[in-house]
Amino acid sequence: MISWDILGAWLSAAMVVWIYSFAYRDNLFYKLAEHMFVGAAAGYSIALALDSLNRVMIKPAITTPETFWTTSWHYVVPAILGVLMFAKYSRKYYWLARYAVAVNIAVGTGLALRTVPIANITRQITATIVPLWGSDPVTVLNNWLLVLITIGALTYFLFTIFPRRAEGARPSPLYYVYRTLYYIGIYGMMVGFGALFANTIMTRVGFLISIYLIYLQPQYWATIVAAILAAIAILLPLIRKK
Amino acid sequence: MINMSRSISLGKILESRELLYTLLLISVILPIIHPLGIPIAVSARTKAVYDYIENNLKPGCHVYFEIYYEVAARGELEPNVVALTKHLFDKGCKIVYGSLASFGVIVFELMKTTAADVFQGREYGKDYVFLGYVAGGESAAASLAKSIKGTVSVDNYGNRIENLPLMQEVDKATDFDLVIIASSGTDTFAYYVRQWYTPYNVPLLFAALSIIAPSIEPYVGAKQAVGMLVGQRAGAEYETLVGRLGLGMASMDAQSTSHMLVLVFIVIGNVVYWSQRLSSKRGGGK
Amino acid sequence: MSLVIRKYIPQLIVSVIIVLSVTFYYIYINDSIAKGFSTADKALSDWAVIVTSFALIVGGVDILRFHLTKIRREGIRQAPFSTVTIALLIIMVVLATIGWYYSYADPKAGITITTQPQFRWLYSNLYAPADSAMYSILVFYIASASYRAFRVRNPPALLLLVTAVIVMLGNTTIGGLIWPGFLGLRDWIMTVPNTAAFRPITIGAGLGTIILGLRLLTWREISWMGRRD
Repeated sequence: MISWDILGAWLSAAMVVWIYSFAYRDNLFYKLAEHMFVGAAAGYSIALALDSLNRVMIKPAITTPETFWTTSWHYVVPAILGVLMFAKYSRKYYWLARYAVAVNIAVGTGLALRTVPIANITRQITATIVPLWGSDPVTVLNNWLLVLITIGALTYFLFTIFPRRAEGARPSPLYYVYRTLYYIGIYGMMVGFGALFANTIMTRVGFLISIYLIYLQPQYWATIVAAILAAIAILLPLIRKK
Repeated sequence: MINMSRSISLGKILESRELLYTLLLISVILPIIHPLGIPIAVSARTKAVYDYIENNLKPGCHVYFEIYYEVAARGELEPNVVALTKHLFDKGCKIVYGSLASFGVIVFELMKTTAADVFQGREYGKDYVFLGYVAGGESAAASLAKSIKGTVSVDNYGNRIENLPLMQEVDKATDFDLVIIASSGTDTFAYYVRQWYTPYNVPLLFAALSIIAPSIEPYVGAKQAVGMLVGQRAGAEYETLVGRLGLGMASMDAQSTSHMLVLVFIVIGNVVYWSQRLSSKRGGGK
Repeated sequence: MSLVIRKYIPQLIVSVIIVLSVTFYYIYINDSIAKGFSTADKALSDWAVIVTSFALIVGGVDILRFHLTKIRREGIRQAPFSTVTIALLIIMVVLATIGWYYSYADPKAGITITTQPQFRWLYSNLYAPADSAMYSILVFYIASASYRAFRVRNPPALLLLVTAVIVMLGNTTIGGLIWPGFLGLRDWIMTVPNTAAFRPITIGAGLGTIILGLRLLTWREISWMGRRD
C-alpha cells in the first residue's frame, strides 16, 4: 500500500524536475506541470482569500453577532462593494466594480502618501547629511563617498536638465560640476548594480540548493524517473523531426 | 596565437547552454553529496543583529514576525527565521507571527515542521501565535499596527484571538519590542517602514533575500531598521551563533562551488570576448 | 447622469478619501475629531482588507474563464492541459470549502480552510514544489548570462565586474579561505557605495508615489477604472 506521504514526495520531485526540464527544451511534461501549477495556485489564492475574509468578517458575524453588529457593522459596505466586483464580467454593469477598486486604491494611496514624504524622502536626506571633516579618516572617507555618490546618482536620475553650453564658448564651472557629479553617479550605481548582480547569483543558487535538498535528494528515485520521462519527452519530437 | 584559438574553441563549447546548466547542477549537487566543510566566519552585520537581540530584549518581551516569502525562498530565508525564532525563544520572548502574503501560510507550516525541535516545549497561544494570512497589503499592515484584534478575530487555526493568553498582552504596534520582517519582496519592507516605524517608531529588523537587500539598504542606512540579515549566508552565520545548524549551513559549500563556477564562466566569457575583439582589430588592420 | 454614476462618483470617492486620509493625519483640531479620524481611518483600512479578498477571488475566477475560453478557441490540442488547470482549481476550492464547513460544524476538530488535510497535501506536494521550481529556474539563465553578457566592454562595466566578484567572494565561505578580508569588504560595499547608489532610487520611488497620488487626486490617473466609457 503506497502511503500519501510517499506519493506526495514523488509528486513534489516530479513537479520540480518537469519544470526544470524547460531550461533544456519545452516539452509535454513541462506543459503538464505548468498547468497543474497554475490551477493549484489559482485555487490556493481563492481559498486563502476566503480564509482571510472568514477570519476578518464572516466568523465574527456568525459566532458573536452582538459584538459584530455594534462595532463592525460597517463591514457590510466593503462586502457589498466586493460582491459588486463581479459586475466587471457584465457588459452593462461593469462600472459597478469601480466602486470597490476606488476604495482600495484611495485607501492604499492615502496610507502611502502620508508617510512616504518622511520615510522615503526626508529620512533619506537627513541620513545623507553627515560630517565631512573629523579625526577618523575612514569615517570621513565613507561619508564623502556616501554624499558624493548620493548626489551624483540624484543628478543622474532626477536633475536631468543639463546646464547649457554655448557653442564655441568655454563651458561654465557649473557644467563641470554637473558633469563630474553625473559620472560619480554612474560609477556609484555600477558598484550598486555589481552588488545586486552578485546577490542575484546568491539568491538564485540558494533557491536551487534548497530545492535539491528539500525535494530531490530525499526522493532520488522519483527524481531519476521524472528526469527520464522528461528526457524522453524532449528527445522524441527531435528524433521524429529528423 | 595558439592560446587565443584555444580559448575561442573553448568559448564555442561553452556556447552550448545545456552544458552550462549541467555544469551548474553538478557544482551544486557534488558538494552536498561530498561536503567540503569550509568554515564560516560571522560578519559584523550579523553579529550586530545578534547583539541587538541579546542586549535589548528581556525575558517576556514581545516580537511581531512577518512571514512574507514564497516557497522558493525557503533556502534563503528559512535559516534566518528558524535561527531568529530559536534565539528569541531562548531569550524568553513571545512571538506573534503573521503574514500579508497568502503563501506565508505554507512557508510557516513548512518551517514549523522543519524546526520542530525549536517549537518543542513552546505552547501555542502562550509562547507564540500565528495569525495567518491577512489580505490587503499596506492597508492590512496599517490596520494591524492600530489593532490586531480589531483586524482579525480568528487565528490561522480557527481559535478566537481574544482567548489566546499571548494576544491578551499585545494588540497594537507599540506593544511590540521588535518587529522582524522576513520577506522576499521589497514592498513589504516599505509597508512596515511606512506603517509601523514612521508613525509608531517600533524597532524593525529585516531578514531579506540577497537579491533585494541592496535596494532596501537605504532604510537600514537611515536607521529606519536596527539591522539586516542578508540571505542564506546570514542565515548560516546566525545558525552558528545560536548553535543550531540547518539548511543555511548545509547550503554553504554548494554556494561556494557554484559561485566559483560562475566566476570561471565570467572569466572565460571575457577571455573569449577580448580574444575575438583583438583578433578582429588585427584583421581589420591588415 | 449615467456618466456621473459610472465615472465621476468613483473618482470623487478616491479624491475625498485621499484628502481626508492625508489631512487628518497631519492636522490636529481637537481630541474628539482626532479620535473620530482614527476610528474612520481604521475602518477604511479594514474595508481595503475585505475588498482585497474579493479581488483575489475575482482574480481566480478570471483564470477559470481564461482557460474555458482557451479550450473553446484552441480545441483538442489545449483542452487536456486547460482541463487539468480547471480541475485543480476547482479541487482546491472544494477542499478549502470542506475545511471551512468543518471549522463551523466541528470547531474542536481544529480543521480550517488552511489545515484541511487534503488541501494541505496538495499545497505542500504540488503547489509548493512547483512554485519553488518556477522561481528558481532563473538560476540557469543567470549562469548562462554570466558567460554571455557579463563582459568588460568599458570602464563602468569593469567596475561593475570587480564589485560583483568581491561581493560574490564575500558571500561565500570559499572567499574567506582565499582572503578573509572579502567579508568585510562586501559589508563595506553594501553599506557605503551601494546604500548611496540606491538612496536616490528610494527617494525617486517616494516622489513617484506622491506624483501618482496627485494624479489620482486630480483625476488624471484613470487606468484603475478599467475599460473606457
